[in-house]
Amino acid sequence: MAAVDPFDSALDLLRRLNPKHTTSHLNNIIALAPDLAEDLLSSVDQPLTIRRCKQTGRDYLLCDYNRDGDSYRSPWSNQFDPPLDDAPSVGGVGPGGTNEGAGEGAVPGERVRRMEIKMNEAFDVYRELYYEGGVSSVYLWNLDDGFAGVVLLKKTSTPGDATSSGVWDSIHVFEASERGRTSNYRLTSTVILSLATKGSSLGELDLSGNMTRQVEQDLPVDNDDSHIANIGRLVEDMELKMRNLLQEVYFGKAKDVVGDLRSIGSLSETLRDRETQRELIGSMRR
Amino acid sequence: MTLQSQKAILSSFIEGAPPGELADVVADIKNLTSSTPNLINELGPAFQKYNEEQFTTVKLPGSSQHVIISSHNSLGGSRYYDVETSTSFAFDHTTQKASAVETYVVEGAQGDLTKSVIKALAPYVKEHYSNAAYGAWPIENDSKVAIIIVANKYSPNNYWNGRWRSLYILDPAAGTVEGSIKVDVHYYEDGNVRLLTDKPVTASVSATGAAIVKEISAVEKKYQEELNRSFASLSEGAFKALRRQLPVTRQKIEWEKIAGYRLGQDIGGGGARR
Repeated sequence: MAAVDPFDSALDLLRRLNPKHTTSHLNNIIALAPDLAEDLLSSVDQPLTIRRCKQTGRDYLLCDYNRDGDSYRSPWSNQFDPPLDDAPSVGGVGPGGTNEGAGEGAVPGERVRRMEIKMNEAFDVYRELYYEGGVSSVYLWNLDDGFAGVVLLKKTSTPGDATSSGVWDSIHVFEASERGRTSNYRLTSTVILSLATKGSSLGELDLSGNMTRQVEQDLPVDNDDSHIANIGRLVEDMELKMRNLLQEVYFGKAKDVVGDLRSIGSLSETLRDRETQRELIGSMRR
Repeated sequence: MTLQSQKAILSSFIEGAPPGELADVVADIKNLTSSTPNLINELGPAFQKYNEEQFTTVKLPGSSQHVIISSHNSLGGSRYYDVETSTSFAFDHTTQKASAVETYVVEGAQGDLTKSVIKALAPYVKEHYSNAAYGAWPIENDSKVAIIIVANKYSPNNYWNGRWRSLYILDPAAGTVEGSIKVDVHYYEDGNVRLLTDKPVTASVSATGAAIVKEISAVEKKYQEELNRSFASLSEGAFKALRRQLPVTRQKIEWEKIAGYRLGQDIGGGGARR
C-alpha cells in the first residue's frame, strides 16, 4: 500500500472534525506537524477577520493573500497595517515566481492595482445589492501570464428574535490567464456558513460548515474592464449556485438524515401504506 | 512540543470524530504522527470517553444482538453489562470489539422496573427507529434507572452519517425523568457540514415501564417536530438575512454598468459607503 501524504491526511481530518472549529483544529495539526504549516495555511479556508483601514476608515477583510508577517494590506488605501519596515515589493511575484501574494509584502503592479481598485468598488456595490450589509474586499496579484486574485465577502446576521444567528464568509480565489482576445478563468469558491439557534423547547442547535466548488471558463476580453465584468459574473453565478446548494444541504439533507434516524410516524404504518399503494397501482395495471 | 500536549491534541481529535468515522480519524492521526507510532497506543482514555459518550454499540460474539457501551453500564476494568441478554463482556475501546462474555443477572430493588422499561422500549424503538439499540440499567446504588436509545445511519458512499442519542435518568422515588436528546449529522461531499443539537429533557412520570416509555415517545415526537420547524425558520430567518437570492431589483447585476450603479441607482441599505 502506498503511503498517504500527511498533507492529505491533514485535509481529510479537517473535512471530518467539527467545521465550526476549523481554525483551532488547523492550529493543532500545525502544532503536531509544523512542516505542513505553509501548505495548510494557504489551502484551508478559515472565517475572515474584519479590520478598519486607518487611512480611509472603511472596513476590510484579512486573509493569507493580503498578509505580510503580522501586517495586512487595506484594499482601500493600499497601505499595510502595521506599516512595513521595508518598502513592499511590486508585482506580487516573489523570487522564483511562485509567490501567491502571501507573506511577501507584495503589492500588485500599477495596471493590476488599477483593476484592484475598480474591482473593490464593483464588489462593494455587489455586496450592498446581495448582502445589504457586511464587508467586501478584493486582492489581486500579478502572474506571469495574467493575474490572480481573491474576492472576499462577509456578513453576520442576528434577526430580531435574537435567538438565532448566522455568519456567511465567501472566499473566491481565481486565476486569469490572458490569451490575446480571450482569457481563461479558473475559480475556486468556498462558502463558510455557520447558523445557530436555541429555545426552551428546542434546546441548542448548531448547523455549521463549508462547501467548495470550482469552475473554469474562457471568456472574451476587450480591455481591463472586461476582466471585471467577467470575474463579476463568474462570482455572481457561483454564489447563486452555492446559495442554492447550501440551502439544500443545510435544510434539506440535514432534515432528511434526522428523518432517516428517527421516524415521526410509525414505521409499520408507513410500510403498510406503501404496501397498500403498491397493491393499488398493481390492480390498476391489471 | 511535549508528549502531554501531543496526547491532548490527539485526544480532542478522537473525541470529535463524527458518527461512523472514528476509524477514518484514527487513520489520519496515525499518518500524521508516523514518526511516533506508539503515540496512538497511549490514547486509551480518549477512546473510552468517545465510546461511552457516543453510546457505541457492539455485537456480542456469536450473537446478532447489539449492546451499548456507556458509563451507566460499566463494571470497571473495561467490562460492561447488558440487562436484556443477561450478559457481561470485555470491551476493547480501541478496536471496538467485545469478548469474554459471561452471564450477568441483574437483581435488586430496581431490577423489575429496569426489565419492564426494556420490555416497553422494544416495540416503541421498532416503530420509530429503523436502526437503533436500546438499554436500561439500575444506577446510583440501585436508586435510579438509566435509559438509552442510540440510532446510527451511516452512508459513507453518499458522504453522510448520522447519530441520534437519547439518555434518560429515571428517579422512581421522585417520579421524575431527566435527560437529553442529541442529534449529530455529518455531510461531507466537497465540504464539511455538521448539525449538532442538544435538548435537555425533564418530565414527571409514574414509575412503570409503560408510563415511562409513553412519556419518552411523547417527548421525542415533540422534539423532532420542533427540530423540523427550526430548519424552516433558520432557512427563512437567519439564512435569508445573510444573502439575498437576487438583488431587490430581482435582476442580476449588469457588470458593464457597475461603475454607474452608485451614481444612478438607489442600491438600498442606506448608503453603501461607510
